[in-house]
Amino acid sequence: MSTHASPTFIRPLREAGVTFVLALIVFGPISGLVLDGYSIEPHLGRPLLIASIVAAGRLLFGVLEQTPFGQKLLARNARKASGGVTVARGDEYKLLYFVVPLVIAIGVTLPFVANKYWLGNLILALIYVLLGLGLNIVVGLAGLLDLGFVAFYAVGAYFLALGAQYLDIGFWTALVCAPMLAACFGAVLGFPVLRMHGDYLAIVTLGFGEIIRLVLNNWLDFTGGPNGASVPAPTIFGLEFSRIAKQGGTPFHEFFGLEYSSDYKLMFTYLVLLVVVLLMVRFLTKLRQMPMGRAWEALREDEIACRSLGINHVIVKLSAFMMGAMTGGLAGVFFATYQGFVNPTSFNFFESALILAIVVLGGLGSTLGVIIAALVLTLLPEVLREFADYRVLAFGALMVLMMIWRPRGLIRPKRPHFAPEV
Amino acid sequence: MDWHILGQQLVNGLTLGSIYGLIAIGYTMVYGIIGMINFAHGDVYMISAYLTAISLAVLSAFGVESVPFAIVVTLGLTMFITGVYGWSIERVAYRPLRGSTRLAPLISAIGISLLLQNYVQVAQGARNQGIPSLIDGVFRVGNDKDFVQMTHVQLLIVIASFGAMAGLTWLIQRTSLGRQCRATQQDRHMAEILGINTDRIISTVFVIGAAMAAIAGTLVTLNYGSFDFFVGFVTGIKAFTAAVLGGIGSLPGAMLGGILLGLFESLFSGFVNTDYKDVFSFSVLVLVLIFRPSGLLGRPEVEKV
Amino acid sequence: MRKAIQRVFAVSVLAGAVAYGVAAQAADAIKIGIAGPMTGANAAYGEQFWRGAQQAAADINAAGGINGKQIELVKGDDACEPKQAVAVANRLVDQDKVDAIVGHFCSSSTIPASEIYAEAGKLQITPASTNPKVTERKIPTIFRTCGRDDQQGVVAADFILDKLKAKKVAVIHDKDTYGQGLADAMKAAASSKGVKEVLYEGLTRGEKDFNALATKIKASGADAVYFGGLYAEAGILVRQLREQGVNAPFISGDGIVSADMVTAAGGPQFVKGVYMTFGADPRAIPAGKEVVEKFRKAGYEPEGYTMYSYASVQAIADAMKATKSTDGVTLAKWLKAHTVQTVMGPKAWDAKGDLKVSDYVMYQWDDKGGYAELK
Repeated sequence: MSTHASPTFIRPLREAGVTFVLALIVFGPISGLVLDGYSIEPHLGRPLLIASIVAAGRLLFGVLEQTPFGQKLLARNARKASGGVTVARGDEYKLLYFVVPLVIAIGVTLPFVANKYWLGNLILALIYVLLGLGLNIVVGLAGLLDLGFVAFYAVGAYFLALGAQYLDIGFWTALVCAPMLAACFGAVLGFPVLRMHGDYLAIVTLGFGEIIRLVLNNWLDFTGGPNGASVPAPTIFGLEFSRIAKQGGTPFHEFFGLEYSSDYKLMFTYLVLLVVVLLMVRFLTKLRQMPMGRAWEALREDEIACRSLGINHVIVKLSAFMMGAMTGGLAGVFFATYQGFVNPTSFNFFESALILAIVVLGGLGSTLGVIIAALVLTLLPEVLREFADYRVLAFGALMVLMMIWRPRGLIRPKRPHFAPEV
Repeated sequence: MDWHILGQQLVNGLTLGSIYGLIAIGYTMVYGIIGMINFAHGDVYMISAYLTAISLAVLSAFGVESVPFAIVVTLGLTMFITGVYGWSIERVAYRPLRGSTRLAPLISAIGISLLLQNYVQVAQGARNQGIPSLIDGVFRVGNDKDFVQMTHVQLLIVIASFGAMAGLTWLIQRTSLGRQCRATQQDRHMAEILGINTDRIISTVFVIGAAMAAIAGTLVTLNYGSFDFFVGFVTGIKAFTAAVLGGIGSLPGAMLGGILLGLFESLFSGFVNTDYKDVFSFSVLVLVLIFRPSGLLGRPEVEKV
Repeated sequence: MRKAIQRVFAVSVLAGAVAYGVAAQAADAIKIGIAGPMTGANAAYGEQFWRGAQQAAADINAAGGINGKQIELVKGDDACEPKQAVAVANRLVDQDKVDAIVGHFCSSSTIPASEIYAEAGKLQITPASTNPKVTERKIPTIFRTCGRDDQQGVVAADFILDKLKAKKVAVIHDKDTYGQGLADAMKAAASSKGVKEVLYEGLTRGEKDFNALATKIKASGADAVYFGGLYAEAGILVRQLREQGVNAPFISGDGIVSADMVTAAGGPQFVKGVYMTFGADPRAIPAGKEVVEKFRKAGYEPEGYTMYSYASVQAIADAMKATKSTDGVTLAKWLKAHTVQTVMGPKAWDAKGDLKVSDYVMYQWDDKGGYAELK
């Protein structure tokens, strides 16, 4: 302590004062004067409270900045923010032999212990894991910024809903066909736009996502428009997960002589989803070690070098796009099954932004990071349900703070270790 | 097709397009100077709509009768407070991220956008808000039955947008501040070496962008009289489309893109189909970008601000 | 054991425990979910639901509750958005463990949510969803205390053709189940009388600029404009029509019955003369006089669906009292066989869950931002 100058309070106090005034200007009118018809209802205490909190935070930060502890914290942060990708050492794999079975064991037992509400949330969380993994291929590995990823998610979900309605398609058929259809959409979109770079690509994909949503919203006769379409319950070997069999089979609970409970449907969806997610993770890990995966990352780092080395950039980018789209379509099928109903508002730009946030917060290119981020971002709002009004507010603030403190995400991506596996 | 219907749709499109253009200016200026899409811009516009209604209500509570006076005061107040918003957002969410990864500011911009929307929703409630109609004058051309008309507010919107664009173009091209902006945009490090306070320039650009959104917010609120906490997103994405269409980074481009988009929309919904007007706009955007990636007026190296 | 394993799953522990706690304490009260747009553009209706139900619950509780149990209300917000309606329905059933539901408001929310209530075997009474499909899907446990759009549409069509003598009708809707259903019902009724619409278009909810559509309506030369939708869009559309000098009568349904219609339109001068169909004013029914007084004393005008919501809670309470059960199917059987005395007079339901008697009449808005029945 003695080696450092003791913290002065004058500068932080002045800054806190300025912050107070600014916060009062910013928050004052909106939170202090509430519109009621054409008149105003004053709540003058609220802006004062908000401004005081903000100013107190600024003061605390200003003082902390000057203490050795605070400086150490800042320095550590600065170091973390810089620096690129590291290569895995190879011995991490040993740990995996313990962790992976443990995670699988927990994952499989969860549906039998969690209540229905949390089971539903877990399914949603896993759907976002799948979406995150899909977008991670496009943004994280291939470096193509896609703001319309939700379009493929919608294609998957609507394929099941409309397929069931018009073609009598069931859950299992959709599980196979929807990803393929989504991949085709990916190819159709990808082909003309992949010669674009960076932001332009982002904007075109955003436009594409909006077009899909608007078509779903406006094609009343085919998609049901804003009213959406209902999705039948999934089946297993012809046994239907609903109270009364609507598709002309036997309901699952009757076949086994069980009391009806909608939990079975959720448990079934969860278990299939878990298997798909695990397979996907395994597949992606392998893919990153294969030439195609390496080509994606190489192309992200230096396109010109790659092209001069003979990598066909169009094919490589297109494959990334299609792989991502496929995963999105897969997630859509599960979403439709879980919700039993789809409509276009589930596929708006906010959803794309959320998936992108998962990928970026998790750490671009890091599978583990994406999984953790997806779980946190979908389960956290549910935990915060008590503060229902403030949760999205907190969520937005979290996104900003995370970017300031850990712009490279929770988990720093590591290059796969290319030594032969033990 | 009757001339007056076509004329009226052109007026509708021009008004709508001018609104898009005004907001697009904010996107284009920020993109020009730091190469970043400011996703929170639409929500700043939404904030300014609320500020307009609040200010008008306060003024009428204090017994201000004169409508022009109330509007001028409201416009000034709204521009000032919204400017502070612009400054604060840059300071809190974007400045700490300079030199970070390219995606980081994008994510934090989305975060700010969520934050603003939900802040307004929590503070003001989620229901539709509105202001009474204040200016009801109208210009009409034609006879009693078949006419083309433009309300005074609509005319004000068109004049304000063109005025703002001309003023800003002059600012960028002719003033010392404009030169500093252009220098910062070309090469930030070099500009710093030459003694330009680039942090301040970037802040200024955010404030100007926010003030443009405030003009749009006030005039649009006067025109439609109704808004909610979600208008920022809907209008923002259109304005953004307009900015890209015209060539992001170019001021006249933003205006041109806005007006084209507005005309597309109203002509398409007037003579083809209301349902698919947005699909049509976005399709135009995608096609323009495929065949002319830098937009209509955007020339990658020249004149970007 | 259950809790012990949950603890492993760190995030869920806290909220999970809270959820269990809430569920445990609920056993000695009757829980009724009130679902509707508590936020969003149509929050005014959510408030009408909530106020009405609150008053009903307070009155019934003061009179001794249901078989000695007190009524507890749970608010569910769907923002008139089908996706959120499904989520809210799941939450009301699984987490809040409600015994019956009053809601939802928008037909597009009521329909998907009703599937969930039906699966769970819960009684659902909607005070406001008028789309025919709500009760046409063979769900035994759904009821409504309002009329149907095919009745409402006929009343509107008769009025437009016979009273207004309109020859060219422009039909606009908001693509929502309710809005489009109502517009279609009116369209069908009009064409059965030999008048075909000159324009049939959908607009998008949440937009603010309908000028292009207004010009299109003007170009069609319509002498009456019928709108199927809610006040947020109706207000803006009618204002932009009037600003463009289209003075054809504007007719809509029960989706615009709220004082917020005036706010959305930018002043009473634009709403003046607008017609709408709605049930005979529930405030004028003698049976509800006392309750209306109570509302007014508390400083709240029970307009729109407030009384409908009150009556829905009464119907649920009566059925539960009579059957001493909370099972949806049992309650539904009782309701279909008996007449319930409500604040809106005696109500009886047919086998589908629709009211046996509906009473749509025409209202008109005046220049002060109020509305009155058209005599």
